[in-house]
Amino acid sequence: MNKFWFLTGTNLKKKLKSKWFLVINIILLVAIVGIINMDSIIKAFGGDFNKTSEIIVLDQTELSYPIFEKNLQYFNDTLGTEYTFDIQKADKSRQEIEEEIKDTDTVMILLEDDETSYIKASIISDSYIDTIYYQLLYQALSSTKTEVAFSLTNIDSEELQKLTSDISVDRILLSEDKNTEEENMEMIMGTVFPTVILPFFILVIFLVQMIGAEINEEKQTRSMEVIISNVSPKAHFFSKVLASNAFVLLQGALLILYAIIALVIRNYLNVESASSITSEISNVWNSLVTSGFADKLTYIIPLTLILMILSFLTYSLVAGILASMTVSMEDYQQIQTPIMMICLAGYYLAIMAGMFEGSTFIRILSYVPFLSCLLSPALLVIGQIGIIDVIISIIVLVVFNFVLVRYGLKVYKIGILNYSTDKMWKKILKAVKSKEV
Amino acid sequence: MLKVENITKYYGENLAVDHLSFTVKSGEIFGLLGSNGAGKTTTFRIIMGLLDSNSGTVTLDGKKIDYSVTDHIGFVTEERSLLTKMTVEEQVIYYGRLKGLKEEEIRKRLDEWLEKFQIKDYKKRKIKELSKGNQQKIQFIAAVINEPKLLILDEPFTGLDPINVGQLKDAIYELQKKGCSIIFSSHQMEHIEQFCEKLLILVKGRPVLEGYLKDIKEEYQKKNIMIRGDIDPQELQAIPGVLGVHKKANEYEVKIESNKVVEKVFKKISHKNITKFVVEEPSLNEIFIAKVGESYDE
Repeated sequence: MNKFWFLTGTNLKKKLKSKWFLVINIILLVAIVGIINMDSIIKAFGGDFNKTSEIIVLDQTELSYPIFEKNLQYFNDTLGTEYTFDIQKADKSRQEIEEEIKDTDTVMILLEDDETSYIKASIISDSYIDTIYYQLLYQALSSTKTEVAFSLTNIDSEELQKLTSDISVDRILLSEDKNTEEENMEMIMGTVFPTVILPFFILVIFLVQMIGAEINEEKQTRSMEVIISNVSPKAHFFSKVLASNAFVLLQGALLILYAIIALVIRNYLNVESASSITSEISNVWNSLVTSGFADKLTYIIPLTLILMILSFLTYSLVAGILASMTVSMEDYQQIQTPIMMICLAGYYLAIMAGMFEGSTFIRILSYVPFLSCLLSPALLVIGQIGIIDVIISIIVLVVFNFVLVRYGLKVYKIGILNYSTDKMWKKILKAVKSKEV
Repeated sequence: MLKVENITKYYGENLAVDHLSFTVKSGEIFGLLGSNGAGKTTTFRIIMGLLDSNSGTVTLDGKKIDYSVTDHIGFVTEERSLLTKMTVEEQVIYYGRLKGLKEEEIRKRLDEWLEKFQIKDYKKRKIKELSKGNQQKIQFIAAVINEPKLLILDEPFTGLDPINVGQLKDAIYELQKKGCSIIFSSHQMEHIEQFCEKLLILVKGRPVLEGYLKDIKEEYQKKNIMIRGDIDPQELQAIPGVLGVHKKANEYEVKIESNKVVEKVFKKISHKNITKFVVEEPSLNEIFIAKVGESYDE
């Protein structure tokens, strides 16, 4: 038993002391801090995150400018595009303005009378403008045209208000246990969840590569013969699995720590935006509590964590078994590809979970090991499966891991001292059928 | 004392070791020879507990091989079994701990061995940065750090220059004096001749020759006569029982069938100007080639 813990400790220390671990973590820390503090970084290099967009309006209709200004502000607020405008009415000629805006980001809006369509507009700029900005201007101009048209056709302001106001939509759910706030939260979580599980997907790749590389290194150098003459293949196998799982869990914890560090730095650099993040987090949390979704999180989070830990185990057991049958990283890369493809499929299925409303096929897929850790929580979050389905996924994973250990150990014991790559699958089957444990 | 009794090992339907038995006493160096694929590696793996034999037993000091016994065995494999990204110190501690030793004890012994092999400065260096010869020394140190009762040396001198070979030989003799049983395997017969009192030649898993080297050489009928002088090789070749005459530098090597031919050869050249006439034992290399060749022909 002492040798087992020694092997596990050494395996873990070797990973933590390696240069690539240090390099990857420095990159991750810098990337996470950078992304969360992007606005401060842009400002530090002279950029302006909240740059004011200058607009000059040449209104030849003598009627449209105030309507356009009002509409622009309205759509900016409604669509949440958060532009800051410096808008002014021009008192110069078109040529003069065009000369003025050359080599600048200023946009000129030319509003002219039109015999058939009441007004027509031109958006004039020196260079390209981004799509969202263009759409915003387009929406404001279209709305301006409608209002001008109504006003020119003598529709009174009360009637105009009725015609242009947004439609009132009542959302009614017939199921008593559902509420609309929760529906909204599920829609939001359905979008957010794939981002949350991305680190899990990356950690699975880490895990599978790591175990394969270690076992192949020991086989290639024939160190395996010295190691296995002193510890049982079983102890060796479990030490690899345990050390690798401990490593990915530690790496996961480090990712959370980096996010916290990034938020602390943000707080230090910019109190105003930090407080806005705090208030945003608080708003989201309040919405979660009001909608009742917070209660759901009390079981979604533990169930997801259990699924993830069990799946890490599954991936590491499979990686160990496959690596024992190969003699080089090239062979291993080939043999582990299907497993990685399944994991990738699980990730995409989780992202697109909302599209499979009521599908029995997707529900069954959520029970399948390798996929369940990604798909089950995604479907649970958007309310397409219940707790009982996730529990079934967990039971299936436990049974699958037990079978992997039971039969995989036989393959491992034979594989780690075998240096032939001929008829690999036949050898695996033969090992599984053998009576040796 | 290592006792290998009647072991047989099959890989599927292929017979790798066929009823093999031998013993290696404490302080004895035993040569295990054989051509490629003769079953040496399988035998070593069975002794190390890496493989189970289909029949027969292996004991060390009366105990069957298990992990408590392999803690007292050292194994220098043909390929350098080193994790090259580790430093010398990390590697030796790693293998030492797997043999159940405490870290302080390993460090103490490691310093002594590094001093002995004059590579003290390499302690903190990564193994991949060392020359092949120095890597081989580290592999040897890692194998003997547990002061083994049994040491298996599979081609231990591969890639070593004569100075390093000398250092390693001294270390092996030192272990022999301390009572370590040593199994030595090599294709370089001069090393076997120099080290081993007893040997066994394996062909297709079966022993074809076994015993003390001295007895084997004496019992082997074919001899060589080394002659220096004015002789006619054609004339000697014609004598019945002479197997061949080869010129080696300024001498002739006359291979004969048995001792009985010596007199005939001597009579034939006694009247000529001869400055050397010596009857020599055949080399182990010749015996090996003859025995392995015979078995292949069967």
